[in-house]
Amino acid sequence: MTFLVRIRLATVIVLLLGLMLAVPAVAQKLGPDGAPNPTASGTSERDLLKQVPRAEGRIDIPDVKAAVLIQPAGRTWDYFHEVLLHWGGAAIILGTIGTLGLAYLVMGRLRITAGRSGQKITRFKAFERVSHWLTAVSFVILGLTGLNITFGKIVLLPVIGPEAFSDISQIAKYVHNFTSFSFVAGLLLIIVIFFRDNIPEKVDLDWIKQGGGFIKGKHAPASRFNPGEKAVYWLSLLAGISVSVSGFVLLFPFYGTNIADMQIAQGVHAVVAVLFVALILGHIYIGTLGMEGAFEAMGSGEVDLNWAKEHHDLWLARKLANEDRQTHASATPAE
Amino acid sequence: MLIKTSERRRSRAKFAGKKTIESGDDRGRDGWDRRAFLKRSGVAAGALAALGNLPLGGVRKAEAGAPPPVGAAVTTRKNICTHCSVGCSVIAEVANGVWIGQEPDYESPINRGSHCCKGAAVRDDVLSQRRLRYPVKLVNGQWVRISWDQAVDEIGDKLLDIRQKSGPDSVYWLGSAKFTNEAAYLNRKLAAFWGTNNSDHQARICHSTTVTGVANTWGYGAMTNSYNDIRNSKTILVMGGNPAEAHPVSLQHILEGKELNRANMIVVDPRMTRTAAHATEYVRVRPGTHIATIYGMLWHIFENGWEDKEFLNQRVYGVDEVRKQVAKWTPKEVERVTGLPEAQVRHIAEIFAKEKPATLIWAMGQTQFTTGTANVRASCILLLATGNVGHAGGGANIFRGHTNVQGATDLGLDVTSLPLYYGLAEEAWRHWCRVWEVDYEWMSSRFPSKKLMETPGIPSTRWFDATLLPKEQISQPEPVQAMFIMGHGVNTITRMPEAVRGIEKLELLVVCDPYPTAWSVLSERKDGTYLLPACTSFEMDGSRTASNRSLQWGEKIVEPVFESKNDYETMYRFARKFGFADKMFKNIKVENNTPLAEDILREINRGGWSTGYCGQSPERLKAHMKNQAKFDLVTMRAPKDDPEVGGDYYGLPWPCWGTPEFKHPGTPLLYNTNLSIKEGGGTFRARFGVERVVKRKVMENGQEVEKEEHDNLLAEGSYSVGSEIKDGYPEFTLAVLKKLGWDKDLTAQEMEIIQRVNPANPDAVSWSLDLSGGIQRVSIEHGCSPYGNAKARMIAWNLPDPVPVHREPIYTPRPDLVADYPTLPDARQFRVPNIGFSVQKTAVDRGIVKQFPLILSSGRLVEYEGGGEETRSNKWLAELKQHMFIEINPADAGERGIKDGGWVWVTGAENSSRARMKALVTERVGRGVAWMPYHFAGWYEGADLRAKYPKGADPFVLGESVNTITTYGYDPATGMQEPKATLCQIRAA
Amino acid sequence: MARMKFLCDADRCIDCNACVTACKNENEVPWGINRRRVVTINDGKPGERSVSMACMHCTDAPCAAVCPVSCIYPTEDGIVLHSKDLCIGCGYCFYACPFGAPQYPKVGNFGSRGKMDKCTYCAGGGGAEAPGSAAEYEKYGSDRFGMGKLPLCAEMCSTKSLLAGDGDVIAQIYKERVLKRGYGSGAWGWMTAYHQDIEI
Repeated sequence: MTFLVRIRLATVIVLLLGLMLAVPAVAQKLGPDGAPNPTASGTSERDLLKQVPRAEGRIDIPDVKAAVLIQPAGRTWDYFHEVLLHWGGAAIILGTIGTLGLAYLVMGRLRITAGRSGQKITRFKAFERVSHWLTAVSFVILGLTGLNITFGKIVLLPVIGPEAFSDISQIAKYVHNFTSFSFVAGLLLIIVIFFRDNIPEKVDLDWIKQGGGFIKGKHAPASRFNPGEKAVYWLSLLAGISVSVSGFVLLFPFYGTNIADMQIAQGVHAVVAVLFVALILGHIYIGTLGMEGAFEAMGSGEVDLNWAKEHHDLWLARKLANEDRQTHASATPAE
Repeated sequence: MLIKTSERRRSRAKFAGKKTIESGDDRGRDGWDRRAFLKRSGVAAGALAALGNLPLGGVRKAEAGAPPPVGAAVTTRKNICTHCSVGCSVIAEVANGVWIGQEPDYESPINRGSHCCKGAAVRDDVLSQRRLRYPVKLVNGQWVRISWDQAVDEIGDKLLDIRQKSGPDSVYWLGSAKFTNEAAYLNRKLAAFWGTNNSDHQARICHSTTVTGVANTWGYGAMTNSYNDIRNSKTILVMGGNPAEAHPVSLQHILEGKELNRANMIVVDPRMTRTAAHATEYVRVRPGTHIATIYGMLWHIFENGWEDKEFLNQRVYGVDEVRKQVAKWTPKEVERVTGLPEAQVRHIAEIFAKEKPATLIWAMGQTQFTTGTANVRASCILLLATGNVGHAGGGANIFRGHTNVQGATDLGLDVTSLPLYYGLAEEAWRHWCRVWEVDYEWMSSRFPSKKLMETPGIPSTRWFDATLLPKEQISQPEPVQAMFIMGHGVNTITRMPEAVRGIEKLELLVVCDPYPTAWSVLSERKDGTYLLPACTSFEMDGSRTASNRSLQWGEKIVEPVFESKNDYETMYRFARKFGFADKMFKNIKVENNTPLAEDILREINRGGWSTGYCGQSPERLKAHMKNQAKFDLVTMRAPKDDPEVGGDYYGLPWPCWGTPEFKHPGTPLLYNTNLSIKEGGGTFRARFGVERVVKRKVMENGQEVEKEEHDNLLAEGSYSVGSEIKDGYPEFTLAVLKKLGWDKDLTAQEMEIIQRVNPANPDAVSWSLDLSGGIQRVSIEHGCSPYGNAKARMIAWNLPDPVPVHREPIYTPRPDLVADYPTLPDARQFRVPNIGFSVQKTAVDRGIVKQFPLILSSGRLVEYEGGGEETRSNKWLAELKQHMFIEINPADAGERGIKDGGWVWVTGAENSSRARMKALVTERVGRGVAWMPYHFAGWYEGADLRAKYPKGADPFVLGESVNTITTYGYDPATGMQEPKATLCQIRAA
Repeated sequence: MARMKFLCDADRCIDCNACVTACKNENEVPWGINRRRVVTINDGKPGERSVSMACMHCTDAPCAAVCPVSCIYPTEDGIVLHSKDLCIGCGYCFYACPFGAPQYPKVGNFGSRGKMDKCTYCAGGGGAEAPGSAAEYEKYGSDRFGMGKLPLCAEMCSTKSLLAGDGDVIAQIYKERVLKRGYGSGAWGWMTAYHQDIEI
C-alpha cells in the first residue's frame, strides 16, 4: 500500500466517522447537565418557516419592516399578481366586453317601444349630474391608469418602448394617486344623493320576477331606479369603498401596516378594481349603446316621457303627481 | 433602451466566465484561490492603478478632497484598524490624496480580508464631517477658533505656570490606547520629562487588573497565545467576554477552530450574548462571582484528581494554599453565591480539565471589578491547575480592547511604570536615562522629590478625586489642576456626576482628539478649555501591538485632514514650548516639526530589553507587512527559506529577543517549552526571586513550632527544548554568565557596553539592562530564557489577597453575603484614599438594594467603541444604533410597565443620579439584571447637550452615558473601577 | 455558466454588521437605505441565530416579474439588476420580494417613494450608463464585479459566514462545513430564492 493510498483511506474513514458523529451532535440539544446547547439548538430556517409564514427577528435600525427576514409570501403575491390577476383580470374584463358585444349583436339597441314623445322630463338635476360625472371621469382615469400598471407592460410597452412607457407610467402613477381624491369625493356624493332612491322596495321583486322585462318582452314596473340600477349603486358603493380604503393603504405604505397587510391591500385593490371595471362597463353599455334614450338622463338631465313611462313608470307617476300638486299650489295661492 | 439593455447583458457576460471563486473560503483551496484569481484577472494593485479613471468607492462624496481627475493614479496603503486589539489590516485606496475606497486584505494572517462593521467603515473615521477641524478655545462659554501656534503658546504658558505654582504633579497626562507605539512611548517620555508619573491611559479601565494579576502569576501580563492559536483548542471557555461584539474577527478563528476540532465552546456570562449564541454550552452567572465560579470548578477538579499533577510539580508554586482556599467552595457554597447548580459546574470543570488543550478567554467581564486582579489570577490558577498554559491551543487568551492598548500598556502609559514594565525604581530611571542619553540628575531635578519620582501616580479612574478631594488627602504637593488629554473619553470612567464637578474645578482642560468628545460639553465651564484637532491613527505612520503581542506597521493613508496634526508633532511642539525638545528628541530625527516614527521605534528597540521590544526594527516590521501572505494561518510563521521574513512569526510577537540583527523570530506562545527560545519558545519568568522564605507552623516532637522554610521558586525538571541547563535557573546577569563560563561568548563590543551600563559593578548588569543585547544573545544561544526558568505563582504574596478571595461587589444585590465576603478594608492607594469598605458597609446598612433592586452591568456594542465619539460620528455606524438603551428582562419590564422601545428613567445608587434612555426588553439578560452599553455621551441626566459642541462637530448619535449611573469601587492593586456590577432602578418615563 | 448567489451561514453569523457598513462604504449608500441588514431570530433565547440579508438575486425573481415597467432583469450571471431611469417607484417589488431587499429614498406618502435602490451584487447598475462609469457609480454604486471582484459585504465578512460567488461552489463549501462540524441551520432563503435547498 503506498503512502498516498493510506492517506486517502484514512481520510475516508475520518469522514465516515465524522458523519456518524454528526448525527447525534445535531440531535443532542441539551448538555449532560440539562443546560441548553446553543450550537445544536440553533433555529433552522425550515422549521421556522413551518411554524410561521414570515421569519421575523430583531433589528436595531428604525425601519421596522426590515425585521422581517424572509417572507415566502412574496412569491405567493407575485403569483397572484402575475398569474391570477393577469389571467383572471383579462378574462373578466375581456369577458365582460365580449358579453356586452354579444348582447348588442343579439338584442341590438333597446329602443323606446312607443317611440319618442318629444316631451322631456327632468330626471337628474345638475348637481346630481356633476357628482356622477366627477365620479365617472375619475373612475375612467383610475381604471385606465390602473390597468396600465397591471397590463401596460404587456400591451403598451412593446409598442412604445421602455422609456416612453416608463415616462407614461410614472405620470400615470401620480395621476392615479391624485385622482383617487376626486373619485372618493364623487363617490361619497353619489352615495349620499342617491341613497334614498336606492333603498330596495317591494315592487323591485316584481321587476326581478319579470326579469327586468327582458323575459316577457314587456316593461317591468320600476321606481326612480330599477333593481338593476340599484344593484349597480350598491355594488359600486361596496366596491368603491373597498377600493378606496385599500387604495389609501397603498398610498401610505407601512403607516401602521406590515408587509402582510400591504400585500392583502394590494390584492383587494386589484381584484375589486377589476370587478368594478367589469360592472361599470356594463353600466356604461346600458347607459349608452345598449339603450335608446338612457344617456340623456345623465347628459342633459332630461329624458323622453315615453322612455320614462317604459322604464320608470312608478317614478314618473309620482313625479307628475308632485308637479301637479305644485302647479295647483302655485295657481291657487294659499288662502 | 431595450437594445442598450441587451447590450449590457452581453457585456456583463464577459466577466461571468471568470467567476469561479467565492469569498468565504476557509483556507486557500485549489480552484478558488482568491489570490490566484485576482492575479489571473489582473486586478492586483498595479492593474488597479492603470484603471485610474474608475470611480472607486466614494469619489463623489469624498468632500474632504477633490475627486481624482480622469487618469489619476490610485495607490493602496495598508494600516491597522483602530477599533479593537485583533489587529485587522485595512487596505486603503488613495487617489490624489483622498481615501476613496477600502479593499479586503486577504493576505493578513490575522483577519484574512475580514472586518466587523467598524473596520469596514473606518474610511469615514477619516472623512467624517463631524471631525474637529481646527483648534478652538472656550471664551465666555463660546467656542472660538484659534491657530495652532496660539494654542500651543497659551496652553504651554498656563501649564508652565501651574508647574511653577503647584509642581509638575498637578498636571495630568492622559494618553490613549489609540496611540501608535511610538506616540505612546513619546507621551510617557513627555510626562517623565515634565516630571510626573501621572500618566495613564485606557488600560487602567480595561485590563490594568489583567496586566497586574497575570504578570504576578507567570511573568508577563499579556495574552499568552494568539487569536489564531485558538484554532488549536479543543475546549474554549469564555468567561467575562463577548468577543462576537467586542472582537468580531476573533470569532473567525474561534468558530473555525470550534468547527474543525469539534471543540467545546463554553460561555459563562450574565448575558446571553451573541457569543453565547454560538457556544456549545451557555452558563448564566451573577455578575461579580467569578472567583466563586472558578473555585467551584477547581473543587471538582481537585476532588476528582483531574488536575495536571506533573505540570503542577514542575512548573507551579503554591498549589497547596490554593487547595485550602478551594476546599471552602463546596458545591453548596458555590450555588449559594453564584446560583450555579453543582451538575453544571462539575460538567464545565470536567470538560476544561480533560478535553485539552483548553483555553480561557476573557476581557472586561473579569477585569472591571474591585476584585479584578484577583479574578484574573483565579483564571490563571485554573489554567495552571489543568496544565493549560505554555502550549498551542491552551493559554490565557486575554482580549484587549483597542488597536494598541497592548502597546500603549507596554510602553508605559501607566502610573506605575516607565516604558516596558521597568517600574519606577531608581534603577529603572537610570536605565531609561541611559537610553535617552540624558543625565539622571537632570531627570530627577524635574521631579519635586526622589520619592515622588518613584511613587506611582494617580490612576485615570481617580483623576477627579485628585481634583476634588481636600489637599491633605492627596499624597502629592497639590491636587490635579490641569488635564491634558490625548485620545481618551470622559464617559468611560465611572461616577460621572463627580467627574462633572472635577471638570468644573480644573484650571485648564486640554483635549487633543479628532473629535470634541464629551469632555467639551459635560460641564458648565466658560473658559480655560482648549480643543486641539488630532488626526486619526490612519493619518500617521507607526507600529501597533495587537493583543497577541504582534507588532504591525501602519502606513499613513492620507495627510492629516483639515488642521489636524499627528500626535508626534503635537508632542514635539509642546516639548519645544517646555524647553526640553532638544533633550527629548536627541536621537530622533524631526522633519517639519514632526518626529520620525521609525526613529522613535529604534529608540524603543534600544531600551526595550525587558519585554523583548528590542528586535522589532521598523525595517523588519515593514518587511512583514509587505510579506503578509507568507505567514501561516495557524502557526503564524513564515517559511524558513524566505529571504526577507524567513522563519519569523507574524509581527514579531514580543518578546522578540536581542537586537534586530539577532533575527529572533518573536514569541507566538508565551512560556512554550516545546520550542527552543531561539525558535520562539519560553519558560515561566523568574521574576519573583529564586526562593521564598516562609515561616510555617509544623509539628515537631508533638509540639507546634514555627520554622523558616526556603521554597524553591525555580522550575523543577522542566526546561525548554534545547536548553543546556536541564532544570530551573534564575534570570541572566553577567555574573550568571561568568558562573556558567558563557561570558566568553560575549563580543568585545558587547562587553564594553555592559561595562558602560554599570562601570562600578558590571557583574550586576542583567539581561534587561544590558544595552548591547549580548547577555540575551548568549543565553539564547545556549538555549536558555534570558529571564530565567521559574515556576508560575499561584500565590502572589505581594498582592492584597495573595490567594484570590471572593469578595462581593461594593454595591451587591446580596447584602446577606457581605458578612462572609466583604470587600477589603479602606486604605490609601495611588496617592488617594480607597474607601470601598465604608461605602459597601453604608450601602448594606442602609438597605440600598431595596431601593435599587436591579443589578446593572455594562459592556460593548459591535457598532461603537470606547467612549464612542469617533464611531458615533461615523455615518455608516451611527445609523445602526441610533439610541442609547438599557436591556431589561421581560419579567422585570412587565412588573414596571415598561415596553420594548419605550423611554425609561434609570436611577443610580449614588449622587441621586438618573439617566433617560430607551428600554430594550430582552431575554438576553436574566431576571434582576439590567445592562447598558458604555459608548454613549452627549446627554446628561435627561438633557441633550448637542448645542454645546463646537458647531458641526457634534456626533450624529448622542445618548446618556452608563457612567452617570455607575458607582464607587476600586481594585486595590490597580485602581480599576467597577462598572460591571452595581445597582440601579428603572421606571417608565 | 456561473450563477452568482449569496449564502449566509447562520451558524457563523455573529450580527457584527460588517456586511452592512462594507456595503455602505463601497457604494456610498445614503443614510436610511439599507441594502443589506442583519436580523436576529430568537434574540436572547436558546436557538438564537443571526442572518445577514440583502437581495438574494433570486431565480425567477419575483420583483422582476411584478415590476409594472419591467425595469428589473437578471444578467447572465443570475445577478438581478434594475434601471433607475425606468423605475417609477411604485413599491410593488417590495411586496413581492421575499427578503425585504428593495429600498426607497423617501418614506412614501402619495406614492412618491423615489427610485428603488437595492443590492447590485456590487455589479454596477442595470441602467444605460457604461459599466464602471462615474455616472453609474453615482446612481448604483460600485462595479466590483466588472473588475473581477465579489461583493464587498461577503469579502469583508468577519467570520466568513456570508458567502458570495458561484452558487455551486458556495453550496459545496457550506455542505463541507456542515459535514465537518456536524450541525447547520440551513442555507437561509435558498428554498425561497432559488427553489433549491442544500441537501446534506
